[in-house]
Amino acid sequence: MAIQQSQKPLELILARNLLTSVSTPAFLLDAESAVVFYNEAAGALLGRPFEDSGRMSAAQWTGAFGPFDGDGTPVEVDSLAVTDAIRAGRPAHGTFEIRAADGERTAVEASAFPIVASPNGASGAMVLFWPLDRNEPTR
Amino acid sequence: MILKVWGARGSVPAPGPRMNRYGGNTSCLQLSLPNGEELILDAGTGIRNLGLELAGRRRIHILLTHLHLDHIQGLMFFPPCFRAEVEIVIWGPASPEASLEERIARYISAPLSPVEVRELPCSVSFRDTPASEWELGGATIRAESVTHRGPTLGYRIACGETTIAYVPDHEPALGAPLAGLEPEWISGFDLARDVDLLVHDCQYGDEEYPEHVGWGHSRLSDTLTFAQRVGARRLLLFHHDPLHSDERLDELGVDARRSWRALGRDASEIEMAAEGAGVEVEPAVPAMHA
Repeated sequence: MAIQQSQKPLELILARNLLTSVSTPAFLLDAESAVVFYNEAAGALLGRPFEDSGRMSAAQWTGAFGPFDGDGTPVEVDSLAVTDAIRAGRPAHGTFEIRAADGERTAVEASAFPIVASPNGASGAMVLFWPLDRNEPTR
Repeated sequence: MILKVWGARGSVPAPGPRMNRYGGNTSCLQLSLPNGEELILDAGTGIRNLGLELAGRRRIHILLTHLHLDHIQGLMFFPPCFRAEVEIVIWGPASPEASLEERIARYISAPLSPVEVRELPCSVSFRDTPASEWELGGATIRAESVTHRGPTLGYRIACGETTIAYVPDHEPALGAPLAGLEPEWISGFDLARDVDLLVHDCQYGDEEYPEHVGWGHSRLSDTLTFAQRVGARRLLLFHHDPLHSDERLDELGVDARRSWRALGRDASEIEMAAEGAGVEVEPAVPAMHA
């Protein structure tokens, strides 16, 4: 009775259901740091709904949307404090810029926390974004 | 495999003259395997009557989906618990908070119970369900967490070419549009994929559901959509609301068959679970024997 292991862990399913219901832009990452879902509010921020993007690996995500530092220089995902924290099973908070599909960059403040349901570690992470006022300095 | 219903009611026992045909006992199924082995699914109050039928059994496996009272209430009144020669193995969801035994002992202990777990004459052990599938009595079993209130499992049980899924407490449509969602994002999808029989929560009619969103149970249309999406060959509607009389459940059954036909399916593939009823489960394609 081999079962195809395609289904997401329940905690990710429930996280997606929650994000679908909120108006704060939010992303859902899986254990490989791929973006497996973002909600309508995030789609509006990026100018592209998730239905058009589908699952994106970290490299695909970075190439399409950033992040960038305050000078517009691309930031490697692996160098973000948020990435380190999530991989270590801790929450994180940071500020950077992302680029929408039309090329417009938006400064955002982001909070991320790991989703942990088993002793084997995080099965993913939830990342919520708050667009910053353009005059507000990035931190 | 033959599945017998000993309790089909959800939430709380619902005895009474208006409940006689579908029964008032809470969740309990007896799964008889072709090799003579038996598995018990949940230990609601229905397990008391089942226990009377198991006089000769020396080893009994009980698979619990979760520890809500309507799924464990019969344990303390299960006659084999009081026979010293019987070994009972109880499987259930793991928790970081306490062991399965400790959690069940909150019910089988004072002041809720006149006996403690340690005082039961039988030999009883408690095991967390493994993360991967395992063999039990000749069947291959897989348990996975599903959407309900609190840690809750669904089971997929295969024996030979026949497979059933038991998901009695499940609200897969909570915050999720079941009809259009990719399978990988549907709670319980892999458990129930292509099964010969799906036993599934159908506590509410569609008109009742708006007042019960988030309670952990399904309305009829969501149950049918889930069954259709997973490709279940047959569907047994289970976990009846304690307020639903025989007459009301008859009506739900009519609605279910009408809606199932509208999905292009055969109405004979759907049944309402009724206490005392047996369901013979056969594979989609008969197994080829050398």
